[in-house]
Amino acid sequence: MTQLDDRTGSTADTDARASHRPRPRPRAEKIPAGELAEVSMTVNGAEVTVSVPARVHLADVLREHLGLTGTHLGCEHGVCGMCTVLVDGDAARACLLFAVQCDGAEIVTVEGLGTAEEQHPLQQAFSAHHGLQCGFCTPGMLMSSYDLLANPPGETEEELPEQMSGVLCRCTGYRGILAAVSDVAQAYPDGPPAPGNCGARTLVGRGGGRGPAGSADDEGVETGPALPTEVRIPVGAPSASVSVTSALSSPIDDVWPVLEDFDQLARCLPGAQLVEVLGDDRYRGRATIALGPVKLSFEGLAQVVEHDRDDHRMKVIAQGADASGSATQAVITLAAVPDEGSEGGTRLQADAELYLSGRIAQFGRALAGDVSRRMFEQFADAVDETARTGTAPEVGSGPSPVAIAAAALRDAVGRRLRSARARIREAVRRRRERR
Amino acid sequence: MKAAPFAYVRPADLDDVLDELSGGDGKVLAGGQSLVPVLAMRLGRPATLVDVTAVEELHGYGASAGGLRIGAAVRQRTVERSAEARAVPLLGLALPFVGHRELRSRGTVCGSLAHADPAAELPAVACCVGAKIEVAGPGGRRTLGAREFFVGAMTTAVTPEDVVVAAEFPVAAPGEGFGFAEIARRHGDFALAGVATAVTVAEDGTVTDARLTGFGISDRPAFREVTDLVRAAADADDVERELRGGAAELAAELVDTGGDTHGSTGYRRRLFSVLAARELAKALRRARGSRASGRP
Repeated sequence: MTQLDDRTGSTADTDARASHRPRPRPRAEKIPAGELAEVSMTVNGAEVTVSVPARVHLADVLREHLGLTGTHLGCEHGVCGMCTVLVDGDAARACLLFAVQCDGAEIVTVEGLGTAEEQHPLQQAFSAHHGLQCGFCTPGMLMSSYDLLANPPGETEEELPEQMSGVLCRCTGYRGILAAVSDVAQAYPDGPPAPGNCGARTLVGRGGGRGPAGSADDEGVETGPALPTEVRIPVGAPSASVSVTSALSSPIDDVWPVLEDFDQLARCLPGAQLVEVLGDDRYRGRATIALGPVKLSFEGLAQVVEHDRDDHRMKVIAQGADASGSATQAVITLAAVPDEGSEGGTRLQADAELYLSGRIAQFGRALAGDVSRRMFEQFADAVDETARTGTAPEVGSGPSPVAIAAAALRDAVGRRLRSARARIREAVRRRRERR
Repeated sequence: MKAAPFAYVRPADLDDVLDELSGGDGKVLAGGQSLVPVLAMRLGRPATLVDVTAVEELHGYGASAGGLRIGAAVRQRTVERSAEARAVPLLGLALPFVGHRELRSRGTVCGSLAHADPAAELPAVACCVGAKIEVAGPGGRRTLGAREFFVGAMTTAVTPEDVVVAAEFPVAAPGEGFGFAEIARRHGDFALAGVATAVTVAEDGTVTDARLTGFGISDRPAFREVTDLVRAAADADDVERELRGGAAELAAELVDTGGDTHGSTGYRRRLFSVLAARELAKALRRARGSRASGRP
């Protein structure tokens, strides 16, 4: 009976919370098999609406439609716990919930828990205790342990192994995981801090949301939206930010017309191609990126959302999706000022905020930033050449994506070497101090 | 592991639920924690899933004339956390063994009863305490005792056109004590053998009632009244040891599941007899404690 007493202690506030949990709205109209249903929910603080057949589970919606691939899928029948997320504050298996059941629900995934810069205390503890090796179970472990510590009756040291048994790990032997959870439990006796990365943000699906869930055996059923004709304004923290300042030899009055002419501007962008002018400052285009074996071809839309001719500033929002399951959005600001350092020259400032999802996001953000930086540098050179000669360089003779990749790789390797050298120096210093 | 296509509806009224179920090719969806794996493995392909969680009545939860009434949409974790559940101690003892925390977040008490897995904990609890299950169907509503509700492996008295509305668990009175235990390969796995026990002692200390329900050992919860057995052992110095002989006889009679890779029939009998003796002794001890303190 003691067990019961333990488990039902301090329930007053929990009961209140439980009764406040939203119940699903009725959906009186039947969704026929295979047809799409609109489902609205809150994911990591962002309101989202997806269009999916009833049989598509929440984990597939998170991964394929919203690009949140941190939620992993293992067994897909509720045993392994890889897909554990928070649904209305409680941990649940995202593979055992159809998205239609989550109408109006509040979902938090591992992406909502913390950011790379500001990790949640649980993430820090998993790292400190080596609570992961391959990392496949980690999102599930994090969400399960958050639920354990945040919701009464909480945990006891003795019960911890059983309480954490809902997610399988095949690498660590669980010791590091239990030590990490135990640490956070002790550091935050009243429950861990709330998830730190929830708020309005842009969630870009993979490949326009045509995931395997929708296409498994009902061919021809569109599960995602068609190519959009309007750009969406991205919100939230970008995946990477790039800022490039280039010194151009041409005067500003020659440079700016090149940037204003979208046809010329596109020719100056490595790998870019203007496909269609849609009017209202909107352009349909194509961009290819080739980095060694990586070949991505983005079909997308760009729109000039701000243009100040007198001040020589322009803001462009671009979005694109690749058929293989990558998506990107970018907010690009171009600004030109006369270069005071060189007679008749121009300083071109390009700032870009990149929002990546799908496979491109797994590429590593540093590399994505490096690639973009190289692109802007070559873009500036091409703009300069166009301004000087009056004709844009041929697409074919434009800057080679291979050269971009090589330069980016050099940058990345150099950075890694520098940080490795710094680490070695630090280790040597510590060893000397110990003596 | 994707479910085959199905139609989906989430009515607001119980009558609409019954309309959708008429014809018998629909399936009730509440928490889905037993049903969705079946769909994912395509062991079941219902034409329509009728989600009952928008029916307000089915969220009802609390004390009623017949005990603790738990609506069909009430989740296991809600019960596990609630103060009301203390009135039915056996629920509190058994719920931590139901799947994992993450499954109890969505899984419902009534869904576990309606699914009627032979290794499930809550059907055994319902049988042991004599819970009543309210069912709505085309012919109106009816109430069934738990012991007539379960008719075979994953088979109950609920027809495909019926829906479980609620379950009512009798509340414990002073002088009643309970025990619950199971053995599984890992926590959260299906039990190889498990037992729920209830013992009542009178004010003079005599055992007036004792019952036990085994699970994971047959195609449905195996209920036995064992008052004589417990009364005969009640005055021994070591009650558990005294109960072992009787428990072994019960095991021989009740455990009729065939062996599998996880354990032979003989091994399950052994597990069951040890657990039965231990948990009956524990229930007796708790019943005496409850009688002494005057609190259930």
